[in-house]
Amino acid sequence: MHAERRWAAVILLAFAGLALVPLAAPRDDTLNLLFLILLSVTLAQSWNIIAGYAGQVNLGHAAFFGLGALVTRTLWIGGTPVLVAMAAGAGAAVAFALAIGAAAFRLRGAYFAIGTLALGEILRITTGNVLAEISTLPAAAIAGYRLTLRYYLALVLAALAVAVVAALATSRLGLGITALREDEDAAEASGVNALRLKLTALVTSTTLAGLAGGLFAYYHISYYPQHPFSPHWTFDALLVTYIGGVGTLHGPVLGAVFYVFLKEYLATRWVDLHLLIFGALFIGGGLLLPGGLVEAGGRLRRLLRSTLRR
Amino acid sequence: MLLEILGLDAAYGDVPALSGVALSVEPGEIVALLGPNGAGKTTLLKAIAGLLRPRAGTVLWEGEDLGRVPSHLIVERGLALVPEGRRLFGSMTVEENLTLGAFAPRARNAQGANLERVYALFPILRERRRQIVRLLSGGQQQMVSVGRALMSSPRLLMLDEPSLGLAPLMVQAILDVLVEINRGGVAVFLVEQNVRAALTLAHRAYILETGRIVGEGGGAELLQDPHVRRAYLGPLAAPEYFVL
Amino acid sequence: MIILSQQLVLGFMIGGLYGLAAVGLSLIFGVLKVLNVAHGELIMLGGYGAYWLFALLGFDPFASLLLVVPLSLLLGLGLYCALFGFVVRTDEETRIKNSLLIGFGLALALHALAVKLWTADERGITTSYAGSVLIVGHLAIPLVRLASLAVAFALIAALHLLLTRWRWGRAIRATADDWQAALLTGIDVRRAYLLAFALGTGLAGAAGTLVSVGYSISPSIGLEWTLKALIVVVLAGLGSMFGTFVGGLFLGLAEAASAAVFGGPYREVVGLVIIFAVLVARPQGLFGAR
Repeated sequence: MHAERRWAAVILLAFAGLALVPLAAPRDDTLNLLFLILLSVTLAQSWNIIAGYAGQVNLGHAAFFGLGALVTRTLWIGGTPVLVAMAAGAGAAVAFALAIGAAAFRLRGAYFAIGTLALGEILRITTGNVLAEISTLPAAAIAGYRLTLRYYLALVLAALAVAVVAALATSRLGLGITALREDEDAAEASGVNALRLKLTALVTSTTLAGLAGGLFAYYHISYYPQHPFSPHWTFDALLVTYIGGVGTLHGPVLGAVFYVFLKEYLATRWVDLHLLIFGALFIGGGLLLPGGLVEAGGRLRRLLRSTLRR
Repeated sequence: MLLEILGLDAAYGDVPALSGVALSVEPGEIVALLGPNGAGKTTLLKAIAGLLRPRAGTVLWEGEDLGRVPSHLIVERGLALVPEGRRLFGSMTVEENLTLGAFAPRARNAQGANLERVYALFPILRERRRQIVRLLSGGQQQMVSVGRALMSSPRLLMLDEPSLGLAPLMVQAILDVLVEINRGGVAVFLVEQNVRAALTLAHRAYILETGRIVGEGGGAELLQDPHVRRAYLGPLAAPEYFVL
Repeated sequence: MIILSQQLVLGFMIGGLYGLAAVGLSLIFGVLKVLNVAHGELIMLGGYGAYWLFALLGFDPFASLLLVVPLSLLLGLGLYCALFGFVVRTDEETRIKNSLLIGFGLALALHALAVKLWTADERGITTSYAGSVLIVGHLAIPLVRLASLAVAFALIAALHLLLTRWRWGRAIRATADDWQAALLTGIDVRRAYLLAFALGTGLAGAAGTLVSVGYSISPSIGLEWTLKALIVVVLAGLGSMFGTFVGGLFLGLAEAASAAVFGGPYREVVGLVIIFAVLVARPQGLFGAR
């Protein structure tokens, strides 16, 4: 509990530091890289709420990301102020989640995973069919494009995500959700209102994912409307969370940093084989460090402590 | 000595379940293990059968340390466990469940003969042999579970609460079968809630409370023991005296 | 109407391959409780195996099954020993997580390897009899696809026999039902896992071969086929091999019907909607137990 509060403070402090980057080193490629990391943090934290704390693997998470992007983009290009558009995007994602939530939560474990994947794919394919053309910003918007603005928005959103997850984890609500994960029947018997908790977790997770989608729509100059619905976004969030350490606050943050840097590094140095190496690293990680970087960190700390004791 | 347990400690994570447990079973004996719920009786059976690794202590089977034997080879040695709650292969038929009991190489040759013997002990199973076990009644499932264990030609049969959830008539039938098996030379180690029935059957018994052995004696002797009578045979422990 | 029935026939035939792909995955999932998300990539490898045997050595693809399937079995053995064998040592929740990580890694690596070795081009096997068609009334049934359907069914029937008549086949089913009880009856559960994984992979290789001859393969078909297999597994539920096969046929038919009625682009969607609806109404799948 207190570990989470400590970590939240550390991370938010780091974010505060990041706020100074555009003033100190306003290079586009740096900002773009950091933007990607911050977006990953937000998306991963949103996935972490359901997976890490509620224990359910949602493979259709991209649906919320995509809906947020879709609604935000449509409204914003149509003239709505971007923050309002993003809020509407998040709202759309939440509405969808609530609509299918009742149905989806009847499923357990692997069936929940596959059922949510099916949902995500339904949205992706339908969007791809209805809006097959690429979505490009009007010339005026391209001319007035300010990367710094988007960077700060990403920073704020990531900070919000971390704060929300920290608050959730340390609250009674969070404890209840973890209790649900451990043993739903026992939790209910102790007075935990399963439905209310599940809905809270769902709404929080979906809102963050929807906002992340809105951010995506605001950031990219042009993209295919079905792209943010692609399961790759879900898998990225999943991998980042697992690499970092699922169910922890700092796991997704560490994971996002590691993942994005690794991907970029491999893509530039080993152009041909980078995906192969990437895959091999995941296999290695899954075998040796199932708890992710957080577990590795823990082990390292214990190792240091025992060596220092001598 | 067939089975000898020395100084056994077991735990679930940080929660201790067994402390310094020591007991033994001689060939041809019926030994009962009694105790309240949560005492650690199932834990002990799991540790012997290799489903659980103890923290300390030894389980010796005919002098061999079972701790070094992989779980699936224990039945090959001659010990078979009828687990709590039956634990049958639900999607498979009675006969498939039974024949799987003879999976171990030692029992494979005797499969045909053992199957006949099991059907002789439990005639209703012969009638139902092509039925999916999930669809059988509790008592019939228990028969399959016992039968499956018998298919491995065990020298020691261990049972975890075989009477749980069964009607009294069915319980008596199972216990009668145990006596008959024992007459054929198979030792029996019985964990049983129905203390009166267990003590009537058993040559010897141990009492396990909160992970420790607190008492031991002959079956008839313990039936008269005041602590046993108060704790396990008084009105609260004998459901047949309850009028609901 | 003519178009609909023709589409349905084609959908039925590819449904057989969906079923075969799903059975392999179902076996692994049911026994090991592990979701191998690289299953599609294993299908892809099987397809390339058959393709190269044809392109370089002139092997007829149906005959090359005799090579591809044993090789796939061995591949499954190797993958289990090197990777998935370690995953099964943990409890179920950790297992799902670890298997996803390893599965994704494997899928990524195999996909990248395939692109590196064989380029991203689509390939297919065109035999001398490729164009033959069986005319039944107003329906044109491509013989190659019909043969593939028959082979798929035969393989599943063979698997069924293995699982019921073979001692280790029964051991595999027992392990799927209750692995602790299996240990108590003397079954080496690790070996049961190994066999199930190898068999599942063998079936994937076979499916890949049939895909390469009746349809086409490329390094990217992995994800698509994993999804199809997953959907059928969930649709049909665990426990019945024939049920899973029928589930595959059902998916094929549903896709064909929706393509005919709503148009090509919506082919996949209706299938997915049906799956989701079935799951909600019957969380254990159409043929699943419990």
